[in-house]
Amino acid sequence: MTAAQQTAPRLSAPVLRMTGIKKSFSGVAVLIGVDWALRAGEVHILAGENGAGKTTLIKILAGVHSDFSGTITLSGKPVRFRGPQDAAGHGIAVIHQDIAVVPSMSVRDNIFLGREIVRGHRVCFRAERDRARAVLGRLGLDIDSSRLLEDFPVSVRQMVEIAKALVHDARIIVMDEPTSALNEVEASRLFKIVGDLRSQGRAIVFISHRLEEIYRVGQTITVLRDGRAVGTFPAAELPPDRLVELMVGRAVDRLFPPRTAKLGGLLLQAEGVSVPDPSGIKPWAVEGLDFRLRAGEILGLAGLRGGGASELVHGLFGSFGKRVRGRIRLAGEAYVPQSPGCAIRRGLALLTNDRKSSGLVPTMSVGRNISLASLGRFSPWGWIKTGREAAAAGRLIETLGIKAGAADEVVANLSGGNQQKVLLARWLETSPKVLLLDEPTSGIDIGAKNEIYRLLDIWTSEGKGVLLITSELPELLALSDRVMVLHRGRFIDEFDRGEATQERVIKAAMGMENQA
Amino acid sequence: MKTKTILLPAAGLAFLAAFSVACGKDHGSPASSAAPPKWTIGVSQCNLGEPWRVQMNQDIRSAAEGHPEIKVIYKDSQNDSLRQRSQIEEYASAGVDLIIVSPKEAAPLTAPIAAAYRQGIPVIVLDRRVLGTEYTCFIGADNVRIGKAAGHWALRKLGGSGKIVELEGLMTSTPGQDRHAGFREGIEGSGLEIVFEADMKWLEPDARREMESALSRFPRIDLVYAHNDPGAHGAFLAAQAAGREKDILFVGIDGLPHEGQVYVKRGILAASFEYPTGGREAVETALKILSGEAVPREITLSSRVYTPENVEAGGEWLRDN
Amino acid sequence: MNLGISPKSRVSRLFRSPSFRALAALALVIAIGCVFNAEGTFFRWHTHRDMLRHISVFGILACGMTLVIITSGIDLAVGSVLGLSAVLFSLFSLQLGWPAWLAVPTCLTAGAACGLTSGGLIARFKIQPFIATLAMMVFARGLAKWVSGGRKISTAVQLADGSFEYREAPGVFRILGSKLFGGNIAVVTLIFLACALVCYVLLARLRLGRQLFAIGGNEEAARLSGVPVSAAKLLAYGLCGLLSAAAGICHAVQEQQGDPEAGAGYELTAIAIVVIGGTSMLGGKGGMGLTLNGAMAIGYLEKILSLNAVGEATRLMLTGLIIVGAVLFQKHRK
Repeated sequence: MTAAQQTAPRLSAPVLRMTGIKKSFSGVAVLIGVDWALRAGEVHILAGENGAGKTTLIKILAGVHSDFSGTITLSGKPVRFRGPQDAAGHGIAVIHQDIAVVPSMSVRDNIFLGREIVRGHRVCFRAERDRARAVLGRLGLDIDSSRLLEDFPVSVRQMVEIAKALVHDARIIVMDEPTSALNEVEASRLFKIVGDLRSQGRAIVFISHRLEEIYRVGQTITVLRDGRAVGTFPAAELPPDRLVELMVGRAVDRLFPPRTAKLGGLLLQAEGVSVPDPSGIKPWAVEGLDFRLRAGEILGLAGLRGGGASELVHGLFGSFGKRVRGRIRLAGEAYVPQSPGCAIRRGLALLTNDRKSSGLVPTMSVGRNISLASLGRFSPWGWIKTGREAAAAGRLIETLGIKAGAADEVVANLSGGNQQKVLLARWLETSPKVLLLDEPTSGIDIGAKNEIYRLLDIWTSEGKGVLLITSELPELLALSDRVMVLHRGRFIDEFDRGEATQERVIKAAMGMENQA
Repeated sequence: MKTKTILLPAAGLAFLAAFSVACGKDHGSPASSAAPPKWTIGVSQCNLGEPWRVQMNQDIRSAAEGHPEIKVIYKDSQNDSLRQRSQIEEYASAGVDLIIVSPKEAAPLTAPIAAAYRQGIPVIVLDRRVLGTEYTCFIGADNVRIGKAAGHWALRKLGGSGKIVELEGLMTSTPGQDRHAGFREGIEGSGLEIVFEADMKWLEPDARREMESALSRFPRIDLVYAHNDPGAHGAFLAAQAAGREKDILFVGIDGLPHEGQVYVKRGILAASFEYPTGGREAVETALKILSGEAVPREITLSSRVYTPENVEAGGEWLRDN
Repeated sequence: MNLGISPKSRVSRLFRSPSFRALAALALVIAIGCVFNAEGTFFRWHTHRDMLRHISVFGILACGMTLVIITSGIDLAVGSVLGLSAVLFSLFSLQLGWPAWLAVPTCLTAGAACGLTSGGLIARFKIQPFIATLAMMVFARGLAKWVSGGRKISTAVQLADGSFEYREAPGVFRILGSKLFGGNIAVVTLIFLACALVCYVLLARLRLGRQLFAIGGNEEAARLSGVPVSAAKLLAYGLCGLLSAAAGICHAVQEQQGDPEAGAGYELTAIAIVVIGGTSMLGGKGGMGLTLNGAMAIGYLEKILSLNAVGEATRLMLTGLIIVGAVLFQKHRK
């Protein structure tokens, strides 16, 4: 009957079973009867495209949504959570996709937020500090827990979320895309911790869009599609092609389309480029970098987070004003980064790695988000020609296949993939020569990724150049014509399409010498 | 970063400098004269936001100008009781020869005034009272009496019957309550009827708005009694806009030279009742005290009424009746 | 897509749109007026005319405030700049006898300078709008008192010997303070409507307006999309100052004098108008139509309370309740 029974009962009886879960938002059904079970000592992958219902299912489990139909059985007993605190009290810890920490509070206060260790009415800081140190140590993190969380990189915030789950001794730990903000090394450490937790007999639910990590950590995979569970399988018995097929509901001919663009003349030439460090910790985030980009070329930038790739593209784009040093020639003419407006006029476009904080204007419509970077064209003498603006937006919505009700729909209502396409449309409308793309596929589903890959190939065929940053190595290797590896803001190695492998790139990124 | 850290304090300094210039003009400088003054008088004014209090300082200043033997220092406590308290303490420790204080409120200022008094410094309390009797002299006017006089005047003018709009000052303040109560007392038992009353909080725009409402509701209004002259002026403007200013008499209180008296001269107000500042009387009393003459413990100021007939002649003193 | 659904969804969309909800709040206030009509006074035309006249000054302030709030800022200095401009305008025209073509632009420039200064502190030095405009609020009030010597500037000019001379108010005072079309609409109301129209066009059709929305919605995204954030903010605060000065001139001509205390507390009414209209204090959402609505709602509210001669204590409580009610009503339909 249900997919859950396709797996032979192996380890133990399920600790958690969700049956017949249905949930709709203002009349739109998001979950139409999901059945699945979770066992102790397993890492259970929930796979599915954006909008398949994974996040909603997790929120029901976390007690965020309490108005659903269906039953949840915990260790054989039916339960119904009244709210997140109630679910936490039952030993369920959820690490949400949007990291829910308070950066202006200390690490310790974040770990114990809402469940402080109290003696009488006073918070017992000493006990909290000791517990925090023990737990952080178990996660391989040696930091002072009384420092503010905002002083640490995003990866530490992720670890703090996990520490929160450990400290409350959760039996079930749910991680919703935990690696989206981590680099390779940090991700590896996370996978090790996940393995440890599993061997301690905890049950882990893991959501990811990255095929390689699904197979690296998961033992069981449940695939969700259109609000239904289409099946539960042992990871070993489900080949990647088949998994993608189940997720998309059709065969994706090839995840990475072949590169067809021909390389043209020299487009961007940089000598001795240095970019100041925006956080001010060190003087330069990028130092003395030389590189060239040809028309029609995708140059991949690899490196650990903090390696300087993001700062490099921001610096080229003028985000840091005139503080960038070095000689740059753009399409044969000298170029000095000054301001984003200036960069846009010279034919640069920057897709930032965080569409929420530095990409979308959530209060504006799809059409207005698209036209934002090219407003000048639609507004001679400052007067916006709304007809021309709407026509251009409509054209791009069609070309890029953005699924929006109308151009005047508020952009916040769109799915992640469509929002990303809106941003691509914004930059395409500026007719750029060079696209600076920082994590263009983060947090979007496989179908949308595939479309973006195709678009990249089309644009490079038109003679545009692309500087691509992505923390997904397979993507970087498949798309890039050349991969340049940065380590601590300096050039360390470069590979052509044929010679780049994951291993060589990682080694270079971590600062190890490669013997080519 | 560098420029920011330098420019910010600079901007702050510029702000303060401009501010002190602004304050400097408010206080004015003591009258300079060839002969060194014999006595120093410290004035603590509770605020200079109200024109009436600006006038009070002005009156003190012009009264003092004819007396080169005194030097007057002015301080403005900007409606802050604690600031006024420390100003009185400063005067006491600086050893001025006499203090004139117009206190913001009684309770917090009684103690510092008493302390200066006990130290042997004569203190003249102007306009508002403090608790107890540890001061040299209190000079003030009586709002109830002025309100009552306005009531009697209205009675005489309207001949026993008529419809009145009363535009009240802030009814949580003592002057507002007294001017209201006095007026009621003055018209009690007559055929005068107050058809509309509203709190305009001493503010002209509010008075205008309230008067517009009254005009909309009542086709006949004979007299507007406003607790201050700006209120009466605002009511006049509303009536003028409705073309009804000729049918209504406007009466206000305060009678400041540049405000109420001007309105009367221009025929806007039918009468303005002076609420004397006591500035001149304070300087006269101070001179008496300093030269060793005896002064009464309490001086109640007489008021004048300004009407178009008498305003050029300097008004007419109110008689108690 | 689906012809059967589209009219219905269009209706439901209308119901959910902010402008509809703002209109509904206004309708609610008018309905209260119809019930408590003070013996039918509420139904007479001049009641509405007087309401419009009274709200005009606040409305002009709210126009500028809307521009600033849309960038997710705030301008607390509007009331003080109004006072400064009222004093300057009275000083120039009543006492110094400047012609209107000189006095009006000078006052507007002074107001714009105040706004540009706050804008500069905010855009260039990254001082929080609340703090920068709070400083300007105090400073401009002080400047108004300094210029006027703490007195109201009226047609009575004090001569050297202490006596007073009365001058006739110049033509500009009479014209701006009068009513047109058979006494049916005040000139200041027309000025308010003109300001509202200009701001509407700016927000709806000009590049600058779009940039203000983008800054309020996501400042970093706007900056990285080439929006000149500093310049746009500077202009928004400058325009807000300019409009405050215009409101000051309107205030002075109505009072026939320049009161250095004029406009104290008006910034709060202006903010209330913007918020009741439905413009978000978080920025990025709102518009002039909403502010016009909010101005009418506040104006009618004050008018109804005044017509019924409601006591001050009750007035304050009712105003507080109705502000919360109107905002909750707008939220409820989400």
